[in-house]
Formats: sequence, C-alpha cells, structure tokens
Amino acid sequence: MTTCTGCSLLCEDIELVLKTGAISEAKNLCRKGQGHFQALFTERTKPMIDGKEVTLDQAIAKAAEILKNARTPLLYGWSNSTLEAQTVGINLAKKIGANIDDTSSFCEGLLMERILNGKIPTCTLDDVRNFADTSVFWGTDPSNSHPRHLSRFSYYPRGEKRQKSYEEERTCMVVDVRKSATAHLCSNYYFRVPPEGDAEFLESILTVLDGKIPKTGDKKRLIELGTILKKTEFGVIFPGQRMIYSMQDKMDLFEELVARLNEITTFKVIPMVGHYNMRGFNQLMLGQTGFINSVSFRGGAAGAATTHGPEQGVALAAKSSDAALIIGSDPLSALPFGTARALAHIPLIAIDPRRSLTTDAAQVVIPSALSGLEAGGTALRMDGTRISFEPITESERLSDEQILTRIMEAI
Amino acid sequence: MSVELKIVCFEDIFQYESGEKSRFSDEYRQFSAVILLDKQDMASLGVKDGDKVLVENEISKIVVAAKTSDDEPHAGLAFMINSVWSNQLLRDDLCNASVSGFKGITARVAPSQGEVTRIPEIVQRLRA
Repeated sequence: MTTCTGCSLLCEDIELVLKTGAISEAKNLCRKGQGHFQALFTERTKPMIDGKEVTLDQAIAKAAEILKNARTPLLYGWSNSTLEAQTVGINLAKKIGANIDDTSSFCEGLLMERILNGKIPTCTLDDVRNFADTSVFWGTDPSNSHPRHLSRFSYYPRGEKRQKSYEEERTCMVVDVRKSATAHLCSNYYFRVPPEGDAEFLESILTVLDGKIPKTGDKKRLIELGTILKKTEFGVIFPGQRMIYSMQDKMDLFEELVARLNEITTFKVIPMVGHYNMRGFNQLMLGQTGFINSVSFRGGAAGAATTHGPEQGVALAAKSSDAALIIGSDPLSALPFGTARALAHIPLIAIDPRRSLTTDAAQVVIPSALSGLEAGGTALRMDGTRISFEPITESERLSDEQILTRIMEAI
Repeated sequence: MSVELKIVCFEDIFQYESGEKSRFSDEYRQFSAVILLDKQDMASLGVKDGDKVLVENEISKIVVAAKTSDDEPHAGLAFMINSVWSNQLLRDDLCNASVSGFKGITARVAPSQGEVTRIPEIVQRLRA
C-alpha cells in the first residue's frame, strides 16, 4: 500500500505493482494519480550545469555557489515537497537571508491564511465523510482536479451519520462560471455565476439568509439555495481557485457568509488545495514566521523574518532576485508570462524528479526522488491531517530533504 | 474579423495526466493549446472546430485551435485549460489582496493561418 502524492487528498490506499518501465497493476489509483506515477518512467532529470551532464556532487556544489554569491536569492516551489524538506528549506532561507515563497501566493493562500488563523471554521475530510449532508463546490471541479474527493469523502461514501449517502442524505452543489464535470453530476444544484460575479452572488445569498428578496440573479433559485443551506445539519464549502480569483480583495464577504451560516447551522470550509503539501508549507511558515508565505529573511537578525507581503511573493520577488532555487515546481509553465520571463533571466537551480520548462531553462538541475514512491516523508492533506508515507521502490536519487541538506552544508 | 473575449481557465484531468507524462509531447499540446468558444463567437470569427486562432492581448500572443464549447450559451466568454499556453496571456501585477488578476484574461481573438504555438517558441520568448 502506498500514498499518492498526485494531489492534496493524499490517498493512502493505493496498491501498485511496478515492473521495469511501467506500472503493471494499480488499484484505487485515479487517472490523475496514474499520470503522476508515470513520472517515474518518463523524462527523468539528470544532474546538469549549463545544459551539460555533470555528477550530482558537481551540481550540488554549483547550486551552493550560486546561492552563496546571490545578493537577493529566491527559494520557490515547496508545495510538492515533504514537511521534512520544507523545514530544511526554511532553514536554508534563514541561513542565506533569502526570500521564500510557495505556490499558495498564486492560489489558495488568501483563504488558507484565514483558515490557519482561525477566522474561518474548518474540519477534516473524515468529518465530511461521516457527518456532512451538504457539500458546496465553489469555483472548483473535483471530478477533474481531485478525482476521488466525491467517492472517498463528500458525496458517495456511507459515513457514520450518512448511511443513506448520496441517494437520500447528501446534497452536492456547484457554484461556478462554467458547467464543469462536477456541475453536470449535481446539475439540479448548479448555480452559474458570471466571470468575477462571485461576490455579487455571495451578497445575494446573504440577502436570502436574512429573509429578504435578492436584487440580482435568479431570485427563485437563490431562495431555493438559501432554503437548502438553512436546512443543512453539517455543511462544508470547498472553495477553489476560480472563486478566490474572482473574490480577490472581497474575501471578508466570504468570511461574513460563513459566520452568518454558522448562526443558523454548522458550516465548515476546506480549501481545494491543489499540490499535495501546500498546506504543510503554509502551516510550517505560520509557526516559524507568523506568515503563511511570501517572507524575506534578508538583512535582519539571523533567522528572523524581516518583511512579508506582495513584494515577497514570487510575482514581484522574481523581478528583484538575482538567483532562484525552484523545488518541485514548474513556474515557467505555471506562472504568468511576466513572472516566468523574469525567472528565465536569472540563474535558476531546479530540483525536480522530471524534466520541465523550468529544468530546461535552469543553470543547475538536480534530480530528485519522487515523493511517495521513491522517497518517504510526511505531508499535510488539504484538511490539515498529517499523512506519513514510505517509499515503495528503491532509488539512487536523493530526496528533496537530502539535497537541501547537502546544499546547506556546502554553503 | 476579430472579437474581444473574456477567458476563464479550468482544469482537465486528461490534459493533466498527459502533462505528467510529458509537457513536451504532441499529445499535451493538443490537449492544452485549445480555446473553447461559444457557437456565436465561432460564427462571428468564421471558424470551425480545429481551425487556428490568434489569441492576443497586451501581455503576449499565442496561436491555438478553436473548438466549440459544449457549455453554451456564453457569447463573449471563452475557456482555456490551465497550461503554459493560457499563462502566456496572464497579467501578473498584483491587486490589494496579493492574488494577481490570475485567470481573468481579456484578449482579442482572430482567425489565423499560423501553426499552433509550440513550447520551444514559448521558451524562446521567455528568454528574449
């Protein structure tokens, strides 16, 4: 049995039989996980400096040299690394006075910060399976992003208090700009919002909860939605990126909605985190710095966070850094043009199990083991549950933690 | 003929699986370099499924394949899968809340005789 690190559900019930060059048998593995584990056999990275293959020792030494000589280094990625690797990474940032940030500054961070600071109530996915009668997927499509969410936790399982499950006891709702696969599944309760219209939709729900008629939107359907929310015994909202991008600086409204719902019944929130250990990085950072991401350790007392804010987020930090270490992430592919372009113009050190646009552009490439298959460790599921996993196959490749430790030692 | 559209990005499990195998494959490009258009916008542009369109804004430009959306009607709104192609059009300037205007893309779409933009060309632009 192994754990899939393909998304933040961290499914622990995966049975795999590996043969040379292929997965010969797989049980409980979704299509996304199947793709994730295929990374074992395709386009693996090799140690490189300036496009030429070198020894691992040479690549690590060069990485240490670049970071040591950088005036404003940036350490970015982290959401696809274990807690153990993230801990070493934060220590590395403290040691060299670096800026450190993860993928959450571009996605769920805005909401995660409120969850971790206790401003928005949350629960575990096991609570969802056992008690939830209403799940609201808002700006997210778990059928494509977290394929086993509905089957393991939110819709189909017969939980402790939900033995009649989706047939009678669970309602699944989708609020989204697009009629996604999940929206098709619960089409009776699909609520379409226009682009950037989530805040207005949310205000309409607040109006309905106050017993008034909303000024905008389909009044009949909004009243129907309000009635279901009020009758819910244990509800959970799962916000995704499309909701967060749409809300932007109006997230206080969402906090207000959740507070209002909890005056009537019980409602919790679990952000639909994408990468398998984004939450882990956010919790570690909060514990050590008081901030979940986007922190600089430059110029202050040893180990003290000196500044935090958008300027320390990757989008701006990439433009003011003179070198960057990228771990388990492909920002040249995943981030906006301007940020990717800024990164492509500074010396990059890429630690990654597989080839990407970022490893192709990197001055130094350090191959790493694939978490969950070739390297063990610990991570936090999207709901904060700690999951530990052991490697199921031997590998000569070092784990992220081992690579970062060696870079630290060499600086 | 061209139309100005709002573009929203979404996730697709088949494209994700393909990208995990290789971000440099033809299969991944075929999944990713696509824009889903409303039937009315397809007609306005005079394009049919598989025709190439130039998607351009103040940030960058790409050529992708047009496909009729099965989620109609949404004239004036288009959808693209999250990928390096859609990300070429994204702004990265920050709003007050520190999340960028990510995924709220406005772009002009026009028929194109060009080929779908390939990864090496994108990498070249990033390095230019």
